[in-house]
Amino acid sequence: MARILVIDDNAVNLDLMLYLLRAFGHAAEGRSDGEAGLEAVRGGQFDLVLTDVLMPGIDGYELARQLKADERCAAIPLIAVTALAMPGDRERIAGVGFDGYIAKPIEPRTFVAQVEALLHREGR
Amino acid sequence: MSDTPAFSLEDLAGSRFPLLEYAPDATLIVDADGRIRLLNAQAERLFGYYREELIGQPIEMLIPARYRTRHVGERKGYYHDPHVRPMGVGLELNGLRKNGSEFPVEISLSPVNTSDGTFVSASIRDSSERKAFERRLQELNTELETAGRAKDQFLASMSHELRTPLNAIIGFTGTLLMQLPGPLNPEQERQLEIVQSSAQHLLSLINDILDLARIESGKIELHFEPIVVREVVDDVASTLAALALEKELEFTTQIADAGEPIVTDRRALRQILLNLANNALKYTEAGGVRIDVWSSNANGRSAIAFSVSDTGIGIKPEDRERLFQAFKQLDPSNTRRHQGTGLGLYLCRNLSSMLGGELTVTSEYGKGSTFTFTLPR
Repeated sequence: MARILVIDDNAVNLDLMLYLLRAFGHAAEGRSDGEAGLEAVRGGQFDLVLTDVLMPGIDGYELARQLKADERCAAIPLIAVTALAMPGDRERIAGVGFDGYIAKPIEPRTFVAQVEALLHREGR
Repeated sequence: MSDTPAFSLEDLAGSRFPLLEYAPDATLIVDADGRIRLLNAQAERLFGYYREELIGQPIEMLIPARYRTRHVGERKGYYHDPHVRPMGVGLELNGLRKNGSEFPVEISLSPVNTSDGTFVSASIRDSSERKAFERRLQELNTELETAGRAKDQFLASMSHELRTPLNAIIGFTGTLLMQLPGPLNPEQERQLEIVQSSAQHLLSLINDILDLARIESGKIELHFEPIVVREVVDDVASTLAALALEKELEFTTQIADAGEPIVTDRRALRQILLNLANNALKYTEAGGVRIDVWSSNANGRSAIAFSVSDTGIGIKPEDRERLFQAFKQLDPSNTRRHQGTGLGLYLCRNLSSMLGGELTVTSEYGKGSTFTFTLPR
């Protein structure tokens, strides 16, 4: 079981990810914007953070920059779960410090396994 | 060449040299002191003077006051080193008409040796039209760039906006089918599978349409680099292995030429092979699909050939050309049965020609088809 924070401004997509992670036994918490997300990561004890990228206010790029510049949070695996799936998006996202990338629509049967793989890779 | 030219300045003005008088460019002959000695009809028209008003006057009379001092210096320099200076080369200059109006000019200069000494011939062209045309061209280019950016932005937004609700549809259909909230009865399961495959189909359509839009706007960025063919073929084979297994089809690859790497775009090559092999598996109910790679020759040049063969339904000869058109599935009832978007082969053919290759098909109706893709080395 891992403690996972999920940040997405779309309530339905947030619900979906939380539901899947919890169904597979993880302790998942949700936030619906970048500001609240940042605050939660800084104040909580999360093993991994999943975040949408295009959000009003602090978006995923900014979130990644701030977390990776913060030594208390830099080591927490940060995964983009995003509908930005045009050529070049994955590279742009990796470029700001994300540790992983999952394109929307997610594949529900393998989503949790994908997240866990990133969790274990980072945990080595 | 003789040191004494065969004609005088007078000759230039007369009927021996009608070219000068009727030249389409304004032409002025100027002496060492910068005084106008001869001019043609077009020069009168261009500057709005009668000939008599200009003869004997300094050439600077035809130049706006702010350029005059500099021009005297340049003129003297040119006399010390006379050479042919073509039209449009050198400084931007304006002409000054009798009525005081200015206009942009292009000037070409050349020395003229006569029995009366050396003169300079200046041909002058009003470049306002060309300048206006250049400006308009620049404006149009800017407009095109803006439109291109708007289109890219539109495609990117469309992709993002369509994927977001699709994520919820595919996601929650998946959780239900995984029976995470609770068991399903067989009819519920059947209906949810229809939702799921329709959503997947919609996603394929979105992906194909975006690819197509990028190809047609020249937005596909190709990165030509050395590629190990076997890696790409193995990747395609492993991606489709599950589909082959599910349909109980034999799926094999045979690389007769595992020689040196070829230089091409990995993503495009992968997409072509993936589309062809995916089609082959889709349209085959019994038997198998194989991918072959071998060394070949295309128009006498060394090439590498890829083929994807199946033992599927085959294609009637009269249908072969329609096959590569967008949104043309041969049998409309196939759309439901095979979940194709009707864009796959159209994309493949576009991509293969972008790689400099050629995509062809041979088929025996009822027995199977072979799609062959030849790429120059």
